[in-house]
Amino acid sequence: MAKAAAKNKRGIAGWLNPYHYNAERWAYTFQRVTGVAVLLYVLGHLGDTSFFVGGPTGTGPSASSWAFIGTVFENTFGHTILVLLVLALVFHGVNGIRLVLSEFGLILRKPSAIEFPYKPKALASGQRALIYVGIATAVLSAIWTYLVLFEGMG
Amino acid sequence: MTDVRLLVQRFDPFKDEEPRLVEYKVPKREGMTVLDAILYARDYVDHSIALRFSCRQASCGSCGMKINGRPRLACYTQVDELAGEKVVAQPMENFAIIRDLVTDLGSFFEKHAEVVPQLVRSDLQEQEHPTSEYVMKPEELTRVLQFTYCIKCGLCTSSCPTVATDSEFPGPQALAQAYRYTADVRDEGGDGRIAILDTPHGIWRCHFAGSCSYVCPKGVDPALGIQLLKRHVMSGHAPRKAGEGSPTAKAGIPAHGPGSGSSSGG
Repeated sequence: MAKAAAKNKRGIAGWLNPYHYNAERWAYTFQRVTGVAVLLYVLGHLGDTSFFVGGPTGTGPSASSWAFIGTVFENTFGHTILVLLVLALVFHGVNGIRLVLSEFGLILRKPSAIEFPYKPKALASGQRALIYVGIATAVLSAIWTYLVLFEGMG
Repeated sequence: MTDVRLLVQRFDPFKDEEPRLVEYKVPKREGMTVLDAILYARDYVDHSIALRFSCRQASCGSCGMKINGRPRLACYTQVDELAGEKVVAQPMENFAIIRDLVTDLGSFFEKHAEVVPQLVRSDLQEQEHPTSEYVMKPEELTRVLQFTYCIKCGLCTSSCPTVATDSEFPGPQALAQAYRYTADVRDEGGDGRIAILDTPHGIWRCHFAGSCSYVCPKGVDPALGIQLLKRHVMSGHAPRKAGEGSPTAKAGIPAHGPGSGSSSGG
């Protein structure tokens, strides 16, 4: 028997492909991807800053570590990574606030008698508006980061 | 008369290594549903196509399948409403394939049963031998009514990205039914259900993708029910006062006895 095919589960591919579905499903996928990206960055950041006990002017591991980070991020590639990181971080945070508020029931509509064609109350326009707010905030933050890193503003 | 290009996924786990799409030409007629098209192919082209169906009117929930990439009822989806030139019918994801379009719903119904989807009374004698009718106000009925429309077709569970990776997750259908009974003023079994669901593989594995509500053909809105169930757990109290709506409450008698003041909300 072809066990894998018969099991018929998409696994993680099911998280990553929101095609054919609603805006909230797309937000779910982006929330997962940005969450992993931010987690990886934070782990790297924690690992690296743990060597900075003496600061950039210190001696020993801190100085070499600071210099290493400079080689990674003080260039066009590194700055691009940071712009994308801000994009991911802000979207993840704002969308996460939407999810927390939903779990507290604060931005949900009440159940009611339904009429067809039925539009799910869980997917009401308020949810979608908050997703758009998350996207807009993330894009504006990324633009600001770009201007600071690439154009020398701020 | 134009033809419909119908592609049906064929797969027998005991014979085939991988599923394959087989194309059938079906004469198109006005108002033709995807179920009509598949049945035409089965009746006139290839008798071996396996599918499950019954009522043909979106009441029984038997003909759930993935049609052009999204879980839908075949009897409730007209060929004309689908974008593109072809109709692709595949079995619902997240369910094991028995053959072709027929999936195994065994675990689905087991998870439904695990959330105790019936009214529970603390007084077993009263539950088994009710002394009078249990009364609900219209607004109390409205709180749960849409969740009672579930036909257990499995489309919501098929669309759920959490079910795709977590076999222990109850799925949107079972969770919505847990809310449906917990928010019912006649029910006193909410705490027992929460004990089952406030667990590592329970309600908190739902991350509100909302695709369950998006694909539900009956307006059940499982994602709404699940978030309301989360609110119920977070708030730490019940959606109603104990005994409200029960025969004993009507008579002014506490339903649970001393210390029974908490119950759910929604």
